[in-house]
Amino acid sequence: MLCADFLEFLLVSNSNKKRKTVTENQTETESNAADSASGPLEIDGLAGVFGTSDHKNIGRLYIFFGLSGGMLALILNILVRFERVNIGSVGVLDFGSSNQFFQTWSLSRTALLFFCVMPLLVGLATYLVPLQVGAPSLSFPRAAALAFWAWLIGILIHVVTVFADGGLGEPDPTSQFAQGMDPEATELSMLSIAMVVFALLLGTVCVIATIISQRPQGMSLFELPLFSWSILVAGGIWVLALPVWLSNLAISWVDFQGADALRYGDVENIWDQLSWLWSQPMIFAFAIPVLGIAGEVIPVSSGVPQRQYRIQQVAIGALGALSFGAFAQPFFNPDVANQAVFVAMGILVLLPIFAFFGGLANTSFRGNPSVSAHLILSVVGMLSLLVAATVSAFHVSGPAIGAIQEIDETWLDGLIMWLRDVQGTVIATAVMEHVLISAVIGIVSGIYYWAPKIFGYQLNRNVGVLSALTLFGGLVLSGGSNVINGILDEGDQVFHSSAYEGVWDSTAVEFFNIVGGIGSILLLVGVGVVALDITISVFLEKGNQEDVNDPWGGHTLEWSTESPPPIGNFSEAPVVDNERPLLFPAATGGDEQ
Amino acid sequence: MNMATTNLPAATPARARNLLVAVGFGIAGILMYFGGLFGVYLRERSQVRSSGGTWIPDKAHIELTPPGMIIWTLLISVAVMQWAVYSIKRDDRQHALLAVGTTLVMGAMVLVQHGWQLSQMNLIADEGPTTAATLIYTIVGSYMVAFVIGMIFVALMGFRALAGQYSSRQTDGIVAASLYWYSLVFVYFIIWIAVFIAK
Repeated sequence: MLCADFLEFLLVSNSNKKRKTVTENQTETESNAADSASGPLEIDGLAGVFGTSDHKNIGRLYIFFGLSGGMLALILNILVRFERVNIGSVGVLDFGSSNQFFQTWSLSRTALLFFCVMPLLVGLATYLVPLQVGAPSLSFPRAAALAFWAWLIGILIHVVTVFADGGLGEPDPTSQFAQGMDPEATELSMLSIAMVVFALLLGTVCVIATIISQRPQGMSLFELPLFSWSILVAGGIWVLALPVWLSNLAISWVDFQGADALRYGDVENIWDQLSWLWSQPMIFAFAIPVLGIAGEVIPVSSGVPQRQYRIQQVAIGALGALSFGAFAQPFFNPDVANQAVFVAMGILVLLPIFAFFGGLANTSFRGNPSVSAHLILSVVGMLSLLVAATVSAFHVSGPAIGAIQEIDETWLDGLIMWLRDVQGTVIATAVMEHVLISAVIGIVSGIYYWAPKIFGYQLNRNVGVLSALTLFGGLVLSGGSNVINGILDEGDQVFHSSAYEGVWDSTAVEFFNIVGGIGSILLLVGVGVVALDITISVFLEKGNQEDVNDPWGGHTLEWSTESPPPIGNFSEAPVVDNERPLLFPAATGGDEQ
Repeated sequence: MNMATTNLPAATPARARNLLVAVGFGIAGILMYFGGLFGVYLRERSQVRSSGGTWIPDKAHIELTPPGMIIWTLLISVAVMQWAVYSIKRDDRQHALLAVGTTLVMGAMVLVQHGWQLSQMNLIADEGPTTAATLIYTIVGSYMVAFVIGMIFVALMGFRALAGQYSSRQTDGIVAASLYWYSLVFVYFIIWIAVFIAK
């Protein structure tokens, strides 16, 4: 009963609470609530919670469970970091077997991506995209609800099966510390993670279908708000790349069914076939919306319209194109790290992020930025992504500089060999960590910026700043220590004893793993205080409710309606003709001031 | 009569084409899924053959007649499905439903032929599991799953047309189902060439 009350509290936002409306099944054919002769269906209690197809309720559920998933991922990350403190002997935490260490390690990655970053992005988009494009509801609201529940059930099954000696493989089954896997749990782990990804894809398709087909009159794709544009680009890349990952998983699963797995279903190889999703360039596809969020927050906080709007859109599109990494599968193409396209993408990914950041800086310098939690978080998120792209370029640059040896075999030989050695070290982990944590920081920025719209309350500014500082500090310590340990030659497959065979200085590596552990704790604190702030400000109703309709002077359509928006979102269909309809209403033609 | 354009009634707002857009993304996802499978299949096959190995197990029986029949059935079903689209665009619901029903019967025939072929191929019975068998079962099995989804989609759109939801003013459901169906035929064409013809 308590659980039902809590979920209902989560779903029934501020203004709707009085009338106990928790669901409506408005279809995509209705233009707004007034068109519905019978009015919205009102259902209370658990039926309302589980039956909701309102995009706003679904979005809130994603945000709540996504933050929870992020905390799980970061707790696992802390365990992994402290296990890495003792090299060559039983780890600090002593997982008991190499299986359990690998299961924890791999689950921390799958959880960070599929339980936290992607669902938070899909959740924010599910809530905001219909509002930003002036639509009365999400396309296929019931499919979106199905996607959410399938995702939630999928992650629960996956976590249980991983801890029941399942998981996505066992890289070192002959190790003296291996204790074997449960085949049925392993099989269920594979199926459940497929279910999770499929659900996220379904949710993504609902969002991008809304962007394309539910825009109001006058809003071309070039007039889309930057967040919606970034979701369109990111969603497009996910729809193209994640099915390839699912095909890898399907091959592994079929092979795993046999009495003797030959290659793909061999527990030693399962993770190797799937790991490309957490590697560059593909990992950058999950941070594309960070640009979109910063592109909303920084101009609004500066009180001026975004300059060179088209260039910003092109930068987001370019990041999408450069992050499509389904071809870069080391398991099937071991030499991919030395191939020109891979290396070029790893280096060029820096350019669109740098260009976008420059565009934001140019805009904010011309305005008068008012310091707020979401502004600080956005800047920190962009900086983190910039650092991620720089580390990525550094990581792949060995073969690129090696091309110089075609001209002079002796020139820079030592440096080039050293750069080549950097590949396969924990610098790859550092790139992944920087990208995904920058995505988390960007998402938290979005939560603080849109909290009045989503929850009907402003979140606490000081807590937001604290979150920014702890997340950034945590990333510097955790990601930075991985970069240093990569230079010291700690291998990327830290669950494997061979990862430590070539390290230059074991003591230094162990020291930096302690530093990384402290950074991981800070990351957990950073996400934890956000969850705490939401609990206090929203659930305990301590947040600021003043001027929640448009507290920041927003430029886009979501700020033109109530907070939280009513059923149907808008009292009448908006007409726009430029990308900043609240700054420049349609009649002015969108001329810049 | 005043023909000034300012006196004309406002144009009807463009209809949201949600279903077509979503199916477009779904088709893109499915093509990428099978693209991933074909990529692995062709790469592994190439490596085995270039090292002098045998790709298809010697005792396997991959005959061309069943896949040949399947591809012809599917090609005819393309025409039949297009007949459904043609009919619904002309408010000829009777012929549209006839075409949808015929497509579903052809789909059932394809499933039966797939099942029969899989039972006859003898891919692992004598020589145990092989890489080729794993990949062929993955590709054909995935295709059958996608195909069953396609049949459900076509049937659902047929029922909606029967209920009067689709007509010349609103053809999206039938058109979307037909696009998905054509993409399935395209995928099978690649399977036919890459797996069964080239072996």
